[in-house]
Amino acid sequence: MVRERIFEEMAQAVIDGLPDKARALAHDAIQAGIDPLEAIERGFKAGMDVVGDGFAKGELFIPDLMMSGEAMKAAIAALEPELMKRKQQRQVLGRVVIGTVQGDIHEIGKTLVATMLAASGFEVHDLGVDVSPQRFVDMVRQVDANVVGLSALLTTTLLNQETVILTLKEAGLRDKVKVIVGGVPASPEWAEEIGADGYAENATEAVEVVKRMVGV
Amino acid sequence: MNMRANYQVNATPQFRVLSEDQIEEIYFSALEVLERVGMRIYSEEGVALLRDAGSRVQGDRVWIPSWLVQEALTTVPSRIVIAGRDRNKRVYLEKDKIYFGTGSDCPSLVDPYTDAVRKYTFDDVYNAARISDALPHIDFHMSLGLTSGVLAQTYDRHQFLAMLKGTSKPLVITAVDREGLADQYQMACEVLGGPEEFARLPLFVVYIEPSSPLNHSVEAVEKLLYSAEKGIPMIYTPCTMCGATAPMTMAGGMVQCLAECLVGVVLSQLRRKGAAVIIGGVGSIMDMSTSILSYGAPEMVLLSAAMTDVAKWLRLPMFSTAGCSDSKVLDQQAAIESAVSVVVAALSGANLIHDVGYLESGLLGSFDMLVMSNEVIGLAKRILSGITVTPETLAVDVIERVGPGGQYLTQEHTRRHFRAETWLPTLMDRQMRRGWEASGRKTMADRVRAKVLDILEHHQPMPIPAEVEARLKAIVAEADARHAS
Repeated sequence: MVRERIFEEMAQAVIDGLPDKARALAHDAIQAGIDPLEAIERGFKAGMDVVGDGFAKGELFIPDLMMSGEAMKAAIAALEPELMKRKQQRQVLGRVVIGTVQGDIHEIGKTLVATMLAASGFEVHDLGVDVSPQRFVDMVRQVDANVVGLSALLTTTLLNQETVILTLKEAGLRDKVKVIVGGVPASPEWAEEIGADGYAENATEAVEVVKRMVGV
Repeated sequence: MNMRANYQVNATPQFRVLSEDQIEEIYFSALEVLERVGMRIYSEEGVALLRDAGSRVQGDRVWIPSWLVQEALTTVPSRIVIAGRDRNKRVYLEKDKIYFGTGSDCPSLVDPYTDAVRKYTFDDVYNAARISDALPHIDFHMSLGLTSGVLAQTYDRHQFLAMLKGTSKPLVITAVDREGLADQYQMACEVLGGPEEFARLPLFVVYIEPSSPLNHSVEAVEKLLYSAEKGIPMIYTPCTMCGATAPMTMAGGMVQCLAECLVGVVLSQLRRKGAAVIIGGVGSIMDMSTSILSYGAPEMVLLSAAMTDVAKWLRLPMFSTAGCSDSKVLDQQAAIESAVSVVVAALSGANLIHDVGYLESGLLGSFDMLVMSNEVIGLAKRILSGITVTPETLAVDVIERVGPGGQYLTQEHTRRHFRAETWLPTLMDRQMRRGWEASGRKTMADRVRAKVLDILEHHQPMPIPAEVEARLKAIVAEADARHAS
């Protein structure tokens, strides 16, 4: 009974987009001996699902989604040590490495995609902006990523999406990871030209494409 | 505490066409026209009232002295409130409070199912009212269509019944003559439960039109006097065509328009002090290639806004015009003319902004144009709501928190403000190309028509009790019987 109430509060904290509240509830759950996996599934993620539905129906908007994503992130970060202690792994749809390619400091599109992917149940490793091809490769190897997402806003830096793909090939990782590209100058034709596996026009489409890539 | 001196706030954008000196010149010129040129008043009752009050009279020609106008202006109210069948749906006709609504009496419509252009029937007039009823930015309703298939001398009662059934919003009606107005007043009293409630909060305003230049028909004057007696607020405004029924110059057109409106103010106050009068009207040009009265001309937009300046200076409610077009279909021209006129009329601060939905220079009452213009009004209202400047909205702390290279999407500040700061469109398409293509490559016209059909198929207005409707139908039937022979 009390546990049910805690799960509801967790969901609500995510729906309301309150990272501090979500973090506090995560700590409370650990204190109370609640299984962190259950806290994620029945609590926080349940809230995220509500927000996702609202966005799909046009009732909620990007800022709602982003703040809920932040709350979700805060909760998971707080539960992470307990998961390690219990040698548990949370169920994720896949692991995604994402970043804006070298020479480009445009953040917003990539951040939107990263948040939407995390909100949809992916484990997301956001490398930030101006990311060198080698850093992409290292991270893909380190987390055993299923998908790597490459963002670029400038026509001049778009070319570096291809450089990352070539670097992945040299490292012998290209067959192990799917590549999705995005950004204003990118296009399905460009994705095909450089041998990427997919392209998305916006963050919502990116989630669909990445889900297809991992077979869900 | 942070004290500051001489700080001014613009809660909305500031817009006006005329200076106070220019307004005064137009007003004095109108007084000069009334006193020196005079008017033709076809109603003997009207002439007698004006003569007894001190006007010079020769047959049906009446010269109205300035002092009589000034006296009338001291008793005519500067605010009027009306409410629909739903008594909570009110419009406050007070300086700078804006409301949009349809126009009346277009002969034709485009059938939304067949695209055929045909005459308005009772059902079409009912449907037009349902569409206004469903649209959030339409605050009052005029018939949009002229009911065909009934007697010309009683069409107004049929039309009023269709409007009453279709919407619970406040109405602006037209009337064939005094008798037609009396019947509709009786119908309104049936709906409200008696004349006391009508007097307390009128259900409709009646639209009465003098005939430019400087003519006032017997029907117009009789309706005016009846309205004054019964406490029915009235719009007394001409449709001046600059270059044809009024001087070609904008200022001259305004002088004549104002003089004609002021006849309504004087006559109404002579009949009953405190009678409510709304001035303004459709001021536009005759298009000198085609001879039409243009409903899309920039001159109409400008004249409407300038006349609003005059009305506000006189502290009288203003009947203005926007959301209409000379185009025959819902095309780019219709969108341009709707958008420009709606934005300017909104900025001007006119009270009853009518003719939303007119195409073909007022001959075609278009459901599509009405629905599209509703979206334009929503957009215009966002512009009107201006920019709030406070420490919270200046957001320096948020800028500091985010810093160079960060982003604002995950700031609580963003979520706190985006709903109030941004207008959320319902018909504008902002998808990216692939999404737009995937959803059927729909144009604005496609999306507008889909919304029209959705409203027609689903919107249910507040019902009228069956016994009340039966009494309304009886009044209409009696009028038909009187005129059948």
